Amino acid sequence: MADRPSLIVDDVHVTYRTYGGRRLTARQQKTWHTIGRHVGAVDKVRAVRGISFVADHGESIGVIGHNGSGKSTLLRAIAGVLPTESGAVYADGTASLLGVNAALMRDLTGERNIVLGGLALGQTPTQVEERFDEVVDFAGIGDFLQLPMRAYSSGMGSRLRFAISSAARPDIVMIDEALSTGDAEFRRRSRERVDQIRSEAGTVLLVSHSMSTIRSMCDRVLWVDGGRLRLDGQVDEVLEAYAEATGRPVARRTPARSRAVAG
Amino acid sequence: MSTAPSPLAALAAEHGLQRVGVRPPLRRYLATMWQRRHFAVSLAGSKAYARNQGNYLGQVWALLNPVLWALVYLLVFGVLLDTSRGVENFIGFLVVGVFMFHFSSASITTGSNAIVGNQGLITSLQFPRALLPIASVLAELVTLVPALVVLLVLVPLTGEPFAWTWLLLPLAVGLQWVFGTGVALVCARLVSQWRDVKQLIPFVLRALMYVSGVFFSIDHYVGSGTAAAVLSHQPVAVYLELVRGTLLSEVPLTPALWAWAAGWALVTLVLGFVFFWHAEERYGRG
Repeated sequence: MADRPSLIVDDVHVTYRTYGGRRLTARQQKTWHTIGRHVGAVDKVRAVRGISFVADHGESIGVIGHNGSGKSTLLRAIAGVLPTESGAVYADGTASLLGVNAALMRDLTGERNIVLGGLALGQTPTQVEERFDEVVDFAGIGDFLQLPMRAYSSGMGSRLRFAISSAARPDIVMIDEALSTGDAEFRRRSRERVDQIRSEAGTVLLVSHSMSTIRSMCDRVLWVDGGRLRLDGQVDEVLEAYAEATGRPVARRTPARSRAVAG
Repeated sequence: MSTAPSPLAALAAEHGLQRVGVRPPLRRYLATMWQRRHFAVSLAGSKAYARNQGNYLGQVWALLNPVLWALVYLLVFGVLLDTSRGVENFIGFLVVGVFMFHFSSASITTGSNAIVGNQGLITSLQFPRALLPIASVLAELVTLVPALVVLLVLVPLTGEPFAWTWLLLPLAVGLQWVFGTGVALVCARLVSQWRDVKQLIPFVLRALMYVSGVFFSIDHYVGSGTAAAVLSHQPVAVYLELVRGTLLSEVPLTPALWAWAAGWALVTLVLGFVFFWHAEERYGRG
């Protein structure tokens, strides 16, 4: 494409340490290595193993793959919240990550979280105040706003997080399955918000297991498998290949529609 | 890496894209921190607030907590035991010591947990990570304020006359806070890189409690000589002595003491900050 790139991911590898357990091979389990379960139970997970792609302004890209294939880790590395082992990420402007697990402060009320989230994203106190009502409207969680977030349902939590993060008007927005927890009305609203970000020349990266969401919101798909990029291309092409490989029949949009008309 | 830039890196340079997730230069880091200062202040306030919010009395506990501690010490040392140990106003001496030592030890404990304990925030938002230990210690300072109010009521009750040095209390507490922030920055990085350090911190703090003259006067028990000089010039003891000096007439407030307090605060903050900033891009890797 001849467009201006907004995001360049150059051979990114991400490895993180995890504490509390360690993977041992069958052979190690029979030897003195067994002790590694009790002492030095620290393991390294190579979640992303060399991914490169270029995204342009105004593009909306879906990211698909199995659970544990490295999708979320990739988005975190792009957002700059998880360090890369090697390789580099270049971005035009600020990147913001909206995820199901993007934990705000569970013990604090929704109101406090709106203020804290806005400030953390670099807004001034005045901006936070100006956008407060907009965030509240968008989240639509009513008087739960005054309750601590631990009292929220997962859907309400993700609504509020989505509202907080997208109010900061990021140039690149990454959505990590956050939409799947919402109800139909919230999904419609967030789709509008995503379209608005795209129309302002932003770039959207969307992780989803819902093929219909990917179809309706994206114009390109990345298929991540085992920490590597398996396929990068047009929506139909990639989804078809993915369906074939996973053995899951995926209804294509055109036949699905004609069936609906026929029925 | 020192190899030639990849084609993608060249493309990024051509379109003026900025690299993500690398440690910014110190000056820009400080500028971003200053820009996000409201976040640290708001986070600190919220943390201190949330601490007492989980019960019916809620924020009343912020004041009730230090009052109850003071009552316990009054009962044990003022009524049951009679151990002045070379100090005239032992209750004043003890309560100031306990409250201010608790401020330092709580700063170090929560500060050391600032990175490891806030992974949720770190893996979802991009901001200068140094704000986390800073906010943790600030939260301890906010928690200390009601305790200081209790001190200001209690100390005159022990027969201590008002003095102009009381006005210097905020300055003394401020220096102790700066010192605590410096230590928290160091500990936050150490714990995020080597989790096991966290297990050692309680032992260090307990040792510090016994060598800093919380319950007794170092001069009176250790006497003079090198050991006493080392003990009374280590930072935790210096700040206890300084705060006592502002409130209690029997503890002398010397210019040398102020110099030690300011020196420790400045050196610890600068070294701690640089040490923390050096690993900035690595926080979040678990």
